[in-house]
Amino acid sequence: MASVTLRGITKRYKDTEVLHDVSLDIADREFMILVGPSGCGKSTLLRMVAGLEEISEGEIVIDGKIVNHLPPRDREIAMVFQDYALYPHMSVEENMSFGLRLRKLPKDEIARRVGEAANILQIKPLLKRTPRQISGGQRQRVAIGRAIVRKPKVFLFDEPLSNLDAKLREEMRIEIAKLHQRLHTTIVYVTHDQVEAMTLGSRIAVVNVGRIQQAGTPEEVFCRPANLFVAGFIGSPTMNFIDGTLLDEGDGPRFKNEVMSVRIPLPLDAQAPRAPEGGKPRSVVLGIRPDDIYAKPPEPADGPDLIPAVIEVVELLGHRKNLHLKAGETKLLATVDAAFAGKPGEKVSVWFNASRVHLFDKDAQERISLEGRRFPR
Amino acid sequence: MTGGAGAILGSILQVGHFVGLILAAVAVLEAYLYVHFFRYGRKWFLPAVILGAGAACFASLMLAPLQLDAGRAASAAVCAAMLEAAIALFFKYVIRGRWALPYMMLAPGIVGLTLLIIYPLLFEVYLSFHDLKLTTILHWSRTGELPFVGFKHFVKVFMSSPLSEVGFWQLVLRTLWWTFVNVLFHVSGGFALALLLHHKLKLKGLYRTLLIVPWAMPQVVAVLAMRGEFHSQYGFINVAVERLVSWMPLLASLGLQPVQWLTQHPFLTCCIINIWLGIPFMMVVILGGLQSISQHYYDAAAIDGASAFQQFRMITLPLIKPVLAPAVTLGTVWTFNNINVIYLVTGQAGGTEDADILVSALYKAAFTYYRYSYSAAFAIVIFLILFAFSMAWLKWTRGTESVYERD
Amino acid sequence: MENANTARALASSSARGQRAENGRAGEEYQKALKAHHLKRKAWLVLIHAALIAWVLVSVYPLLRIFSVSLRPGDRIVSTDLSLIPAGASFLSYWKVLYETNFLFWLWNSLIITCATATIGVSLAALAGYAFSRFKFPGHKTGLTLLLGNEMIPAAMLLLPLFLMIMKLGLVNTYLGMIIAYSVTSLPFSIWILKGYYDTIPKSLEEAALVDGTTRFGAFLRIILPLSTPALAIAFLFNFTQAWNEYLVARVVLTDARMYTWTLGLFELQGQYLTQWGMFAAASILVTLPVLGVFLYSSKWLISGLTLGGVKG
Repeated sequence: MASVTLRGITKRYKDTEVLHDVSLDIADREFMILVGPSGCGKSTLLRMVAGLEEISEGEIVIDGKIVNHLPPRDREIAMVFQDYALYPHMSVEENMSFGLRLRKLPKDEIARRVGEAANILQIKPLLKRTPRQISGGQRQRVAIGRAIVRKPKVFLFDEPLSNLDAKLREEMRIEIAKLHQRLHTTIVYVTHDQVEAMTLGSRIAVVNVGRIQQAGTPEEVFCRPANLFVAGFIGSPTMNFIDGTLLDEGDGPRFKNEVMSVRIPLPLDAQAPRAPEGGKPRSVVLGIRPDDIYAKPPEPADGPDLIPAVIEVVELLGHRKNLHLKAGETKLLATVDAAFAGKPGEKVSVWFNASRVHLFDKDAQERISLEGRRFPR
Repeated sequence: MTGGAGAILGSILQVGHFVGLILAAVAVLEAYLYVHFFRYGRKWFLPAVILGAGAACFASLMLAPLQLDAGRAASAAVCAAMLEAAIALFFKYVIRGRWALPYMMLAPGIVGLTLLIIYPLLFEVYLSFHDLKLTTILHWSRTGELPFVGFKHFVKVFMSSPLSEVGFWQLVLRTLWWTFVNVLFHVSGGFALALLLHHKLKLKGLYRTLLIVPWAMPQVVAVLAMRGEFHSQYGFINVAVERLVSWMPLLASLGLQPVQWLTQHPFLTCCIINIWLGIPFMMVVILGGLQSISQHYYDAAAIDGASAFQQFRMITLPLIKPVLAPAVTLGTVWTFNNINVIYLVTGQAGGTEDADILVSALYKAAFTYYRYSYSAAFAIVIFLILFAFSMAWLKWTRGTESVYERD
Repeated sequence: MENANTARALASSSARGQRAENGRAGEEYQKALKAHHLKRKAWLVLIHAALIAWVLVSVYPLLRIFSVSLRPGDRIVSTDLSLIPAGASFLSYWKVLYETNFLFWLWNSLIITCATATIGVSLAALAGYAFSRFKFPGHKTGLTLLLGNEMIPAAMLLLPLFLMIMKLGLVNTYLGMIIAYSVTSLPFSIWILKGYYDTIPKSLEEAALVDGTTRFGAFLRIILPLSTPALAIAFLFNFTQAWNEYLVARVVLTDARMYTWTLGLFELQGQYLTQWGMFAAASILVTLPVLGVFLYSSKWLISGLTLGGVKG
């Protein structure tokens, strides 16, 4: 059981820098997820923790010890690979005991640990088979078993579920969650699937273009995304982004563009907005998740806060419906109750759940915190 | 067969001894590299390796039966120590332990290739500028000294004949013709057979197996067997011709008659034998290429209305090119360098020279006529010719590739 | 390719056949189907005929040798073309085994070849791994030089090698032969093995590293056992190259007791037709095992050759 600390990690291949000054603290017994699109550097980061990639700059600390120059075998880690990397010429049992045999553990101890892991993962009947004779899901279990028997300080998972089909992936996800509850060890888990990230992680680090964009609990990352990238990456379907300006016309801050004018509510404890500092309205991006958009048939009495839009496409998901809307030139996706009766071509009135509106600075792409902010008039 | 068991035991011991020596040499080499890759940072590194190299050099020179006096051995040891100092500094400040594993794994192979390919090539260059022949070889093997003669042998290569009758330029032309004809028939024959085999057929596996028999047979047996079939009296070809003629005398009046293949048409005989030998390799390579082309392309082309010939030209040819091009390159070089067929067919004492190409003339010049230095110069000239052709070929194929990509 | 057009015709006529009720179009369809089958059959017959013809050309010399080897002593030389000659006997086999040095020759070939192939494959197994997994300075140059080595004519290398062997006093010894042979197949073997190692996922070694081995340990424990097919191919390649070699042996070996079988065979064939039967018997004895091994392993051997050499 151990904590892992990354300090100022940088990775260079010849002229290209793929990781820039990454720092991250992973607490003891934490289930840390590194999530990001492919090629963002998350796997490289994990492989550096494992000792499979050289570190160009910075240091990695496992359990209080700097491990930069330790080979993988001396780091007391175990790793589960994307393609499982089971040794094809060994039986399942030999695969699982390989690391223990290398460490010259006594035979009965090896047998005990392999049996225990096989029990946990329910692969006892497979022990004598070779990896070729078992299914993808079973291989996955064996790969995890090979990691468990070692009793490492840290488990590293490199996209372990991406080679499984959807149903099996869901099952294994639950298995891994249970495993963490049972073993209670530090886990660093790399994935590109934000559903896995949200469901498994006790904390999530969202990685893009070689930087950690945001690290926090799943709730934090989902409810208060730190920038446009995180907002767009986490959550499915993707958050809607609308360009506009932020200004204050006397009744509090408002988001405005050619089709809408949305009041931005302030938390009760926030100071009332004051006179503008710069004077110019600020260019911002408004983010709103499809679930937080409401729609109703238009009525003549609709107030100015309702946005007129046209339905372009309707997708039935089962209990919900995706409405692809167009408001002026802005495209919006709203997920509404399946009972909603609108058809393509019809007009609707749309409004946002005001407390779930996110605002981002257009230039810096960073979140604009609404707490205690003063807005330009 | 008496003493067979003893001879067998003796030979095993001899070879085992040799393999043991090689293992020991590899162990010494790896130990040397290990120190240089992993211990370069230690304080003792530089003094230890430099002293060690000097001492090892001195000891081995004194122990070896060379009858060197201690003074000369000592100066050699100093040279060795200085060389080692340079190497050690290089390892300490430039290499710094990087790429230890790949270089240590490559080292035995590199040493082997250096000793048995690069050193002989350099020795060949040395030979070509000196005079080694039957009259000087005894002197050379005793003292290691040879008279320097400059470009004399290179001039002789172009001005005189390497064999008794055939001139250099004639050989060059014949070699080019030989290479061209053989490769052409190898590729076209191999292609034809591969296309035939690429259908869904019964007995396909059997056909394939039997078709590669000429390639699978030991070449010496294959060539000598084929040579027998060209025998003027008992060979299949002449026997068949004779029977045909006696059966249908009309054919004789058309000019069909037994031919003295080996003495009158040795070059043609060699070509036929070599083509027979080389077709299976090309067939197998091309068949592999054909099987890797997805049927979808043909389905799509058929729907687009392409005829069989159009499909061959627009799909098969371009898609097989990446497999075919390197095979043709290799095949060309192999054919150019092929001595086996020609030597086995015409190499007996008093054999004809009318089938010889450059490399077989080189072999005969060196080992039938014992003109060592002359052969060395001849070999270098041949190598340069081949090298020039290869460069031109590489440039040309790259050129066509870029045209291909632009399309 | 041929079939596609007919198939198209069939498809259109069958569509019509379904539309038409009176059966006339159905008849047309049956006709087209019949014509298609006939055409296909004719093609198949032609293809089989062509293949059989060439198979005969390929195999005939071997069959002839076999037939000669069975001829009785007084009719070795004849214009007889039948496969099993009248009065067939194994006399020639008996004579070649007991009246010549044939068994010595086989043994010489065997020991030289085994030693050569073992050395060659060991060196290639190590070097191929370095080329497959590491990007060290000289990586590309090395690979190019290995391929370029194919360009060096054998006769060119043979002269200096022979002089070196002579100066070391190794003429007429196994060692001289092993030295001369040992690296000739090395470049190609390195290519074959590199090509095979390239197909083994790197994550296997990484898993072994995490499990607790060194890099070289991962090579020994994981990569080598997984590469047995490729190692076998490389061994076979080295083995056949040395086993079938003639030109080097002719230069290095002059003592008839030290001959390899290729030299002995050439000697037997010689000019004297009286030995023709023994030559044939010896050829058959040597060829059958080689042929068997080659044909048995041809699938791997060929894929290895194309993998390492041609696709390179």
